[in-house]
Amino acid sequence: MKLDFLGRFSRNRGALAGAVVILGVALLAILAPLVYPTDPLRIVAQPELWPGEEPAYPLGTDSLGRDILAMIVHGARATLLIGLFASAVATVIGVGVGATAGYFGGWIDEIAMRAAELFQTIPNLIFVLTIVVILGSTLQNIVIAIGIVSWTPIARMTRAEFLALRDREFVQACRAMGMGNGRIILGEILPNALPPVIVLSSLVVAGAILFESAVSFLGLGDPNVASWGRLVGDGRQLIRSSWYICAIPGVAIMITVLCLNLIGDGLNDALNPKLRDR
Amino acid sequence: MVTLTRRVFGAGALASGIAAGSRPSFAQGEPRRGGTIVATWGGGEPQACYVPPGGGSSPTFSSSKLFERLGNRKTTGEFEGELAESWKPAEDFKSYTVKIRQGVKFHDGKPMTADDVVYSVDEIWKKYAAAAALSDYAGIEAPDAGTVVIKFSKPVPEFFFSSLLCGSVNYVVPKHIYAGSDPITNPANNAPIGTGPWKFKEWVRGSHFEYVKNPDYWRQGFPYMDRLIIRYVRDPAGRAAAIEAGEIQIGVFNPVAPPDIKRLTNTGKFVATPKGYEESVWSTSMECNCRNPIFAKREVRQAMFHAVDRSLIAKTVYYGYARPGTSPLFSPNKEFFTPDTFSTAFDPKKAAALLDAAGYPKKGNTPRFTVNLLAAGWFAENGKIGSIVKQGLEDVGIAVNLTVPDRPTSIKRIYTDYDFDIAISNQANPSEPVPSTTQYYTTDGIKKGVPFRNASGFSLPEMDALVDKIKVETDAAKRKALVVEFQKLATVEAPNLPLLELESITVASVKVQNHSNDPNYLAASWHDIWLAA
Amino acid sequence: MTAISSRQLAALRLLRRRLIQAVPLLLGVVVINFVLIHLAPGSFLELMTAENQVSDPATVALLRKTYGMDDPLWLQLGKYVWALLHFDFGFSYRQNMPVLQAITIHLPATLLLMVSSITLAFAVGVAAGVVASMKVRTAWDTLVSVAAMFFFAAPSFWLGIMMIVLFAVKLGWMPVGGMITIGGGGGILDILHHLVLPTLALGLFYAAIYARVMRSSMLEVSQLDFVRTARAKGLSRRQVTIGHVLRNALLPVVTILGVQMGTVLAGSVVIESVFSWPGVGSLLFDSVSSRNYPVVLGILVLGSLVVIAANIAVDLVYMWLDPRIEIR
Repeated sequence: MKLDFLGRFSRNRGALAGAVVILGVALLAILAPLVYPTDPLRIVAQPELWPGEEPAYPLGTDSLGRDILAMIVHGARATLLIGLFASAVATVIGVGVGATAGYFGGWIDEIAMRAAELFQTIPNLIFVLTIVVILGSTLQNIVIAIGIVSWTPIARMTRAEFLALRDREFVQACRAMGMGNGRIILGEILPNALPPVIVLSSLVVAGAILFESAVSFLGLGDPNVASWGRLVGDGRQLIRSSWYICAIPGVAIMITVLCLNLIGDGLNDALNPKLRDR
Repeated sequence: MVTLTRRVFGAGALASGIAAGSRPSFAQGEPRRGGTIVATWGGGEPQACYVPPGGGSSPTFSSSKLFERLGNRKTTGEFEGELAESWKPAEDFKSYTVKIRQGVKFHDGKPMTADDVVYSVDEIWKKYAAAAALSDYAGIEAPDAGTVVIKFSKPVPEFFFSSLLCGSVNYVVPKHIYAGSDPITNPANNAPIGTGPWKFKEWVRGSHFEYVKNPDYWRQGFPYMDRLIIRYVRDPAGRAAAIEAGEIQIGVFNPVAPPDIKRLTNTGKFVATPKGYEESVWSTSMECNCRNPIFAKREVRQAMFHAVDRSLIAKTVYYGYARPGTSPLFSPNKEFFTPDTFSTAFDPKKAAALLDAAGYPKKGNTPRFTVNLLAAGWFAENGKIGSIVKQGLEDVGIAVNLTVPDRPTSIKRIYTDYDFDIAISNQANPSEPVPSTTQYYTTDGIKKGVPFRNASGFSLPEMDALVDKIKVETDAAKRKALVVEFQKLATVEAPNLPLLELESITVASVKVQNHSNDPNYLAASWHDIWLAA
Repeated sequence: MTAISSRQLAALRLLRRRLIQAVPLLLGVVVINFVLIHLAPGSFLELMTAENQVSDPATVALLRKTYGMDDPLWLQLGKYVWALLHFDFGFSYRQNMPVLQAITIHLPATLLLMVSSITLAFAVGVAAGVVASMKVRTAWDTLVSVAAMFFFAAPSFWLGIMMIVLFAVKLGWMPVGGMITIGGGGGILDILHHLVLPTLALGLFYAAIYARVMRSSMLEVSQLDFVRTARAKGLSRRQVTIGHVLRNALLPVVTILGVQMGTVLAGSVVIESVFSWPGVGSLLFDSVSSRNYPVVLGILVLGSLVVIAANIAVDLVYMWLDPRIEIR
């Protein structure tokens, strides 16, 4: 079944390309401390050097004189970590809420769905900004804030899956055998409900990266981290003369999000073959 | 393409900018009367047109065109009367008699009298605008309609009193409008009635103030122009575009980003000048929280300053529009500044040696100690300075956690919770050191919850005694000597020192005449501004 | 007297049900935001006393009382909700005016931006999606797909800045920011000129989504039975497409339209910052920074109202488009 999955996945060439690029980014992130051991936020050269002007700094320097390539490479770590952890938070909350709502139904379902509607109603970026301003601009808080606004689609998807699966024969058989609810939820239904949830989670990673870059762009990001969004924000004053400071990190964000979307598409194709080929 | 030229700013390039691209800013021939002038400044819209306790530079900028003070300081350094004609100390310097100008009317036609001055001093200055300066205030009387006598419980030096009368928001407000109300929420704050050369016409929120000429202004023949519009533009690029297009003729207090200053002056149609800020010099300061036992020793505090490359900050963060600070007072301060202070210039080796001697040696890769560095986020530059300071400290073996909170959080953490080890903050101080500067170094300056006071917790009986003497010394020469001592002591103890003196710049079209002719031009009334053809 | 059709009745019933459901929703929004904002370090009062340099403890106490900060939190919340029911959103001491007034001053600019970007997204996206579906697997199709990928992945603020660099700084065709030319314009043409880039930056993201969804929806619907029947009856391809396929293919797009209305307010915070657009987004950012609770709460409540209204509208349009659907 594994091989079958990989086979279906790689038939989508876009998804394959996307996966390769993301693996490359991940590799970059892991190798960052080896390739650029010093703190990327250190001032190393003259400010506002254009890419190519100085061979030691292939992507140039920013307004303070920091190496942009070093910041991009280290930024990859921050970006991927935020994406992964925020998605994890959203998935845990979403699956938890959706599973309980879908399995138990009744008033639990009602409350859960009202809560989901509540979080979907509040404009999400504004909510993230408010939370970050309240809790403080650290990486952990940004991850939590993004997770809090991103769980609802996952909850709805999980709930739909559980609703569909809970009355199937194999579940009834488990109940007849005397299995507790917990085991049924976690051991039996969840593994079957996961595929569409995984697709959603991958899209949440992309969304989380866009959120974080917006928050950092507005100046509310973690100042100890060379996030790509913050680089774009820092470069705003200099768009007339040194617009590469804004352009380069934005391209990095775009490529990463694009590849994640492609992967999401590929996962979708691989896991839901009947919906494929539109 | 060499970008080095962009870095060569500072006074040299600025001077060439002024010389190359302009005519001198003083009147050429007869002032042209009539017309409208549009101004802006480097910040945002105020919360109200007039904020009695001050409220910062924005409401000061908007209200100073409508209200006036008892006195004014000229660029030459002399004091001249504005709503007061003259003032004299008593023999014991414990009271001053002020002659009030007659024939001045408020914008609603009612006359300005001693009663308004009494009300302003008692209700506005004492409670809000000048509370710290009036700590020894003992009352005010109006023996007749044209005179007031201000009394103090201790002798008050003349320079201090004159500065008080010229304080940027120490206005004379109309008693008949404010008496019996809460001055802070009085609706007149959004459409003020004062005695100034300009009358309030309209406030279009989010856009501009419109002021018109006061036809009954007491200075005969002024103002020259018919309308003054103060426009608020959200971001520097927009301001630069508006100035370039001729839609705004003058911008004060760094209206555009430094690269744009050069660009505009190079066209020959604009001037940029650092004049007009001598009584309102801004600085970026660094302070050590003395409550942290690490900073109990002054050698450790000095080491912090030795570790920071102030020139690098001036060059990269301020594009050269700043100078390293060497004293709690600033170099434009002709009365009191002394260059002969204890030097904490950039010297990482010295810093390392001081730290070793103080008992914080560096062992291999472990840092000597860790500090929480808080850079107040109300200026974007402070965050960058925080990065540079962090780097400097790390280079001498100190581990740093940098946070750049937003304005309310910064104010709370620095001035209420004292939740920092090192803080990067800002001040703007006039020439008179009491109380604006001294309150950062005295024990009575420690007021929990009140911002822009002594947050470092520094308390030295020697310093308190010195400042107490400065407050009551009425002989000018002796007072100067005492203030010199104060600067030396402050720099040796180093609890809180300026990293840099900032150069504020006004950008104006070459057509604007009579601008930047006041030592605090942002807070001046602009009664004599005019536009050449 | 005209009889109300059963469809209209169903619509009215839906409206009533949703409006009733909206009440606890809004209440929940208010409570959450209220609690959140009061958790923030650095209260509005501290900022005000800081700006006003108030040090006299008696004055500070008076200010606390004036702003109602001595009441326990639940009482403050209760008073706020009660006032809300009377359409009183409180007073903004920072702008010295009622909150509702502060918001409505900034509202037209944001509404203008929202409407134009939604219109652009819908028009461009749907058109592109239809074209792609009709010319499937040709160069056009690939072009649309690639463009959609690009605009979906590009962060909107970055897109905005790049457009400013290209069209305003380098080419000089567009203004750098703001809503009107200072000192000059204010006319409709001037505003439209300033509206172009922000609309593109905000709208192209959703245009990309609409294009993709429309394309797959069109392809899906055109396989359905009733379409084949229409073709068999001899109707031209174009008639079939526009008459039958389009109307049904729009359904998923309409759902997303509802979602877009909700999130475009959030998106405008960033775009308004990039383009110095004087709308509610700027007001919100300023209010969050200055802990101006009444204004932040007011904006969040109104924003949620917009989302709720948009969802109701979407459901109604859904019902109109496909009478077989009865929304519960």
